[in-house]
Amino acid sequence: MFRSIRQCARIAQLCVVCTLFGICLWQAREARVAPFSVAAVPSGAPTAAADAPRIESYFASSTFHRHVHSASISPLSDGGLIAAWFAGSREGAHDVNIHAARFDAENRSWGDEFRLISREATERMLQRNIRKLGNPVIALAPDDRLWLFYVSVSLGGWAGSAINTMYSDDDGATWSQPRRLITSPFFNISTLVRNPPVFHSDGSIGLPIYHEFLGKFAEYLYLGPDGEIVDKFRISSGDHSLQPAIVPLSDDSAVALLRNAGMAHGKVLASFTRDRGQSWSEHVAVDPWNPNSAVAAVNEGDGDILVALNDLQDGRFRLSLYHADQDLQHWRPVAVMDESPTGEERVAEDVYMQTLSARYQDVAPEPRETPSHLEQLRSELRRRACHQGPQCEFKYEYPTLIRAPNGFFHLVYSWNNTLIKHVVFNRAWVEQGA
Amino acid sequence: MSNGEVFGHLTFAALIFLLLPLARIARPLRVAAFASLLGLAFLPMVSGLSPGDYVRSYTDDLAITTLVWLLWTVFVRLTGVGRVAPRHHFQLATCFALLALVLYPATLGLASLDPYRLGFSPLSLLVAMWLLCLWLWWQRNHLGLALIVIATLAWWLDVKDSDNYWDYLVDPALGVYALGYLLYACLRRRSGARATP
Repeated sequence: MFRSIRQCARIAQLCVVCTLFGICLWQAREARVAPFSVAAVPSGAPTAAADAPRIESYFASSTFHRHVHSASISPLSDGGLIAAWFAGSREGAHDVNIHAARFDAENRSWGDEFRLISREATERMLQRNIRKLGNPVIALAPDDRLWLFYVSVSLGGWAGSAINTMYSDDDGATWSQPRRLITSPFFNISTLVRNPPVFHSDGSIGLPIYHEFLGKFAEYLYLGPDGEIVDKFRISSGDHSLQPAIVPLSDDSAVALLRNAGMAHGKVLASFTRDRGQSWSEHVAVDPWNPNSAVAAVNEGDGDILVALNDLQDGRFRLSLYHADQDLQHWRPVAVMDESPTGEERVAEDVYMQTLSARYQDVAPEPRETPSHLEQLRSELRRRACHQGPQCEFKYEYPTLIRAPNGFFHLVYSWNNTLIKHVVFNRAWVEQGA
Repeated sequence: MSNGEVFGHLTFAALIFLLLPLARIARPLRVAAFASLLGLAFLPMVSGLSPGDYVRSYTDDLAITTLVWLLWTVFVRLTGVGRVAPRHHFQLATCFALLALVLYPATLGLASLDPYRLGFSPLSLLVAMWLLCLWLWWQRNHLGLALIVIATLAWWLDVKDSDNYWDYLVDPALGVYALGYLLYACLRRRSGARATP
């Protein structure tokens, strides 16, 4: 009798196994990737390209006393803009938070910066110890949901990073709780974001991410419209490519420009997809130099690509804008957006202070030009950039470049890690420069 | 409290309990010790986080297989029944070591292929786990069968934050344990063979 009971139990075990796996296999589906949503200028919008050449500069951040870095910018559904960056006593410090500011399209000015999410709030809401925060990325989805992705670290350096996400359905007035994205099976560490996502025609999100632990390589994280992970695709492999900037070129094709984190004197790396991001070509070096620094890129509107980068072999003392064709075979310089006046990374302190004070006054609106304000700026710059004896170091880095629905281009970047600079320009200005 | 937090607290209590030398104390005291550890795991500290939250911060959510195996081992320590036969233990260690070796080196960038992808649309991985379950069933490895079935059921019910089937099946801690156990078992076999005249 016991034997027959055991036999029944074994048959029941087999039935449970077969039923469970049968149901799971029945429901499991291969993910389908929708065509890219290639941003086009709406027909009713002001055609920025048809206007006279136009360029304006602003500072998006409004205080000097924090180290600011890794800015991201997004249009808002009301026609304004929002920029986000990380700010604290230094990169990787315990007091680094994600800051943001809004650009009022009517007044053409940035409002005061505010704290968008803090390390403490992230820790409290995720119920996990958070040691530091890092790169934020902000982007408006086609359904007008504003997404924020940002890096946090619980243990170790940036190799211990994970990505968190929040969203807002009211242009950033209120936000959801942060949620951790599980992107790696190894304790979910070593995944970071830097460049903004692209969107697919069904509202799904293509988030460019990268790893820097045993290898340094780029990936394309495919999220559903609600932010759930649907699939993940390898863009590059090896140990020297980071921070992909994705530019959709057509329904099915896109290019990824990659930061070259290899040996010294490297060039920008590029990889192509022709199947909506599911497979990527072996990455190749393209023309401009890349001193292991972030690259930003955007579709110009006619399929050609506008790229912001430090076209230098070493240092980040010059930030340039380039125009490239779809195949990245032909590059033309458009303009130098910011650079050291001597063409060198380090200059004497008096030259450094004179240069940056003048450039600050060129951009900053009243009442920021008061003498005490300038002295405060100089003091912060001295503390942050003048470590090499009597010399100070220029840094124009970590650009993010987007094209707003009205056709204007917006570039934000770290201005000597003291301010976030915002430059807006139109297609006519690009064509004039190119 | 999310499922992940509950799993993190259970993991903390089970791990500490299994690491403590409690084998020689009376059973009621062992039960009390585990209950105390479970309470401690949920107890908020000055930072507002509990010890279980700290473990989860550094290990992320461990796999369902790890959690079930840990809890089964705690049950065995508390009751003295349900010990896993060494042959079945070796089989399980072999399975999880193989899964870890397939997954981690390539996912961390040592190969251009990414096996972690298989866990997002896991048709092939489900078939592989089904075959593994049939083999474990044939071997009468009840614990192994239970681990894979419960992990698959948990994935189907979406009880973890992860959308990836791999994260239910294996984690680095389980991989390291499985590889360590295999090494230990092999060394023991070699020394046993040498000692045999």
